[in-house]
Amino acid sequence: MTGSGQVGTTRRALTAALGVLFLLTAAARAEDAVASSDVTVLITGANRGIGLEYVRQYAARGWKVIATARRPEDATDLKALAAANPRITIEKLDVTDFVAVDALAAKYKGKPIDIVVNNAGITGDRQKQEFGRSSDWPTFEAVLKTNVVAPLKVAEAFLPHMEASAQKKLVNVSSSEGSIGSVNSPRNIFYRASKAALNMEMRNVAFAVKGKGIAVALINPGPVDTDMMASLPKRFLRPKEDAVKDLIRITDQLTLENTGSYWDFTGKPLPW
Amino acid sequence: MGDGRHRDDDGTKLARREFLAGAVGLAATGVLTPEAAPAQAPAATAEEGARPTVLITGSNRGIGLEFAKRYAERDWRVIATCRDPDGADALKELAGRSRNVVLERLDVVDHPGIDALAAKYAGQPIDVLLNNAGIGGGGDNQTFGKLRYDVYAGVLKVNAEGPIKMCEAFLKNVEASRQKKMMTVSSNQGSIAGVKVPMLYWYRSSKSAVNMIMANLALQLRNRGIIVGLVTPGPTDTDFMAGLPKRMLRPVEDAVRDMMREIDRFDISMTGQFLGFKGEILPW
Repeated sequence: MTGSGQVGTTRRALTAALGVLFLLTAAARAEDAVASSDVTVLITGANRGIGLEYVRQYAARGWKVIATARRPEDATDLKALAAANPRITIEKLDVTDFVAVDALAAKYKGKPIDIVVNNAGITGDRQKQEFGRSSDWPTFEAVLKTNVVAPLKVAEAFLPHMEASAQKKLVNVSSSEGSIGSVNSPRNIFYRASKAALNMEMRNVAFAVKGKGIAVALINPGPVDTDMMASLPKRFLRPKEDAVKDLIRITDQLTLENTGSYWDFTGKPLPW
Repeated sequence: MGDGRHRDDDGTKLARREFLAGAVGLAATGVLTPEAAPAQAPAATAEEGARPTVLITGSNRGIGLEFAKRYAERDWRVIATCRDPDGADALKELAGRSRNVVLERLDVVDHPGIDALAAKYAGQPIDVLLNNAGIGGGGDNQTFGKLRYDVYAGVLKVNAEGPIKMCEAFLKNVEASRQKKMMTVSSNQGSIAGVKVPMLYWYRSSKSAVNMIMANLALQLRNRGIIVGLVTPGPTDTDFMAGLPKRMLRPVEDAVRDMMREIDRFDISMTGQFLGFKGEILPW
């Protein structure tokens, strides 16, 4: 701005002051920006059930969501969500395909991902894990690969992305079925073994990544009304909306002090 | 060691630096310092004409070989299995001088082989099924940031799947016996609560998996009088721990003596317990 004499000096001072004010508030505005639409969450197994509900609830916060599924072309509900919300991106991913996990991590190289949610999981057919009757070993191996090996691969591949982010959180959807201390009747031996193994490896990961500022959690959503629990009467099951609200609430409260914990959906600790 | 092939390349051993950190942690807890042995439970005595039988997996060296020797000394019948009996010099020598020991080829990831051995011993009581065979996965394969995923499946298959398959295949044999024990050599490395330093992702999670499996089997088989237990040797001086300073390791004789005491002590009221080598209950 041009001016002459005292008016010009005042104007220049005002401009400078406004400039400084603008810069000072930029940090706060950036923080606001980070607090909403720049926060990014990656969710595996997002085509249905808990994963889909995660997408819905995180997108409702205005966050960016990378929603992965093995067969996005069949994921009608997920596609509808993404069509209505440009901040949702669908990526095709089978978490047991480790080459594909690496490729997806490479695709997002340099992009911060605040929260990685290892949600994809399988139970293995209940009828194929009855000791002495129907133990199906390929089922055991598939359950271990999806529930134990793949989450570790995803965590490792997306470590740099979490590290580059503001929130730095790794969330693993575990299960109270993984609590060895809670076993009081025998069932689902493959699924339980897989969740106990997941708990062990993620407790180790928690220690390993603490120095990078990344917090790790294992959370039990409780018995939820999804396809995974289709064989159980609905009265025993919690609505997905409630389960995911709990998961997200606990995730919001994760810190480096409580990292490596095994949470029930109530927020109380579960015994290992 | 002349008692069998060194299967270094399949990740049987754990690398020195990895275990050192954990062993230092253990030393800090006083676990490795010498102290008075706990009270000895009486050894199981063989009734007249009915020697107990023990089937041991991975008996060609280390802890498994020591188990075979000590049970043979007790005048038990020992079915000593391993992947390569022809190469198991020390085990062959033991079988040569002890009428109690019979050698059988068995790889716990070979399910048809397990079924065939169970068929061979159909109708014969087995008092103690001892799931000892286990692999470490190799310390170099389990560093976060450089994890070797191709190794993981093998570790799970031997350490978690093998014992459950063995228990299933020899269920009737154990049920037909007097002692009715299914024992698995686990590890304090399988204690999730005990994790302090992160490492050995494959090995530790495979032991947590087998702990969970056995906790379930204990409940499932309780009504049949079968006792399911998890015993642990502590860090022991065998090929498994090669590369670690000996002063951090327990002699294999002590490790096996302790585990045999716990196996003897196990009764149905203890089924499903996860025990340290002093007989203490370990946290999951």
